[in-house]
Amino acid sequence: MRHVGAIAGRELASLFVSPVAYTVLTLFAVLAGFFFLSNVLQFQAYVERMQAFQAMEQLEGLNLNDHVIAPFLQTMSVVLLFLIPGITMGLFAAEKANGTQELLLTSPITVWELVLGKFLAAFAFVLILVALLAVFPAILLLYGNPELGKIGAGLLAMVLIGSVYASIGAFASSLTSNQLTAFFVAFVLLLILLMLGFLAELGAAGGAVNSEGVSGVLRWLSTAEHFESMLMGLVDSKDLVYFGVMSAAFLVLTKAAVESVRWR
Amino acid sequence: MIEARGLAKRYGDLVAVSDVSFTVQPGEVVGFLGPNGAGKTTTMRILTGFLPPTDGSAVIDGHDIFTDPLAARRAIGYLPETPPVYPEMSVDGYLGYVAKLKDVPRGQRKAAVDRAIERCGLADVRRRLIGALSKGYRQRVGLAQAIVHDPPVMIFDEPTVGLDPIQIREIRALICELASARDGRARTVILSTHILPEVEAICRRVIIMHRGRKALDAPIEELRKQGSLEEVFARTTAGDVAVHEPEAPVQEARA
Repeated sequence: MRHVGAIAGRELASLFVSPVAYTVLTLFAVLAGFFFLSNVLQFQAYVERMQAFQAMEQLEGLNLNDHVIAPFLQTMSVVLLFLIPGITMGLFAAEKANGTQELLLTSPITVWELVLGKFLAAFAFVLILVALLAVFPAILLLYGNPELGKIGAGLLAMVLIGSVYASIGAFASSLTSNQLTAFFVAFVLLLILLMLGFLAELGAAGGAVNSEGVSGVLRWLSTAEHFESMLMGLVDSKDLVYFGVMSAAFLVLTKAAVESVRWR
Repeated sequence: MIEARGLAKRYGDLVAVSDVSFTVQPGEVVGFLGPNGAGKTTTMRILTGFLPPTDGSAVIDGHDIFTDPLAARRAIGYLPETPPVYPEMSVDGYLGYVAKLKDVPRGQRKAAVDRAIERCGLADVRRRLIGALSKGYRQRVGLAQAIVHDPPVMIFDEPTVGLDPIQIREIRALICELASARDGRARTVILSTHILPEVEAICRRVIIMHRGRKALDAPIEELRKQGSLEEVFARTTAGDVAVHEPEAPVQEARA
């Protein structure tokens, strides 16, 4: 496993010498600022309205965690849906287009080292994105007192969903030598995964999915199911297992796809 | 040393390489010739571990490519047709990275990179980005990555493409020096090229591939007796005779 660091390091460095990393970071920061501001302003307007009506009960129920930070992170998780495929699209596709895949596959490294190195580079980038996000709840700490535990759970949920997205992005990139194709394959996969729970409900309503088992599996596979409860501060080991299993499963598929060069 | 035993590669019905066997001893530089599509690159990719053969096996410096693939790959320096370089990296950074991939111990990496840079004449551009280099320099960077870990076996796919005559002479001299045991270590070199004079200048033995089979394997000396290398090449790869009777030209060569 000693090559993993070298591969991850090179990948990260090459992200940061190309415009990709900076474009993504800028876009992410701008969107985060925009959505954060809009959530805060909405919250403020709501509080003022409730005060005007003297609706003490509603006011009691309001808090920064559930009404500013959670919706903010929820929105940003949708932004990740677009941005992470942008980061991962080159992981393997660029090596193939460049001819550098021949260097990697004729070097004394294992395919696992290669896959893990690539994934870790993307995961490190996810950590940078989440660190950027953490700034916004920190601003709230200056003016109010949101619960730290809930913020932590929310950020952890972002890291975990980012890990699944990075793993799926890596898989998409390993299928093709065209980065644009890799981007869209990853994006569509992520979208489907996000909406599986919704799909199960639709199916149940329409009678298409009438077995409890199938709709249960669909719902379990959906990222949204596991993400949302964690966002509300509920860190359940079942959800942790889900994120771990999903990330690992797509890394296994990635390894198979990289190795398939040799089967053909 | 390279030992290829009955290598074959099939893609469905398409036979890319069939029953290719040869041995290359340390100190030998073998010219690997053949028309485009003859199976040269496929054979080299099998030897370097990039592709597994459908049949047969190979031993690189005593390591079987199936049972001990990592050790076999560690023993090989490979320059593919397109130099496998990252345009966004500096020459120094890139060679350092390759040295890590090829298991050059940490303490020796800098010296290994310096030696490869000096041997390939890259000292002037070592801090430049590879993407900003001319084709010739990029080719030399490709050559440098193949020798950075000082492997006992080297496989070069058209190493002098895109170089000017002076660079070509330098690279040829370098390949000869690598193969000779002047520093006490004899290395094995396979050189694929379309430039026949290059083969005559560097190699002592020639293997000609034709339609996926080994059509000829003989020392240059013997071929010279039959006329120019160009004539031998044309004769070997011309008719279907050579395809169905791959042994015939070899016997002819040894006669």
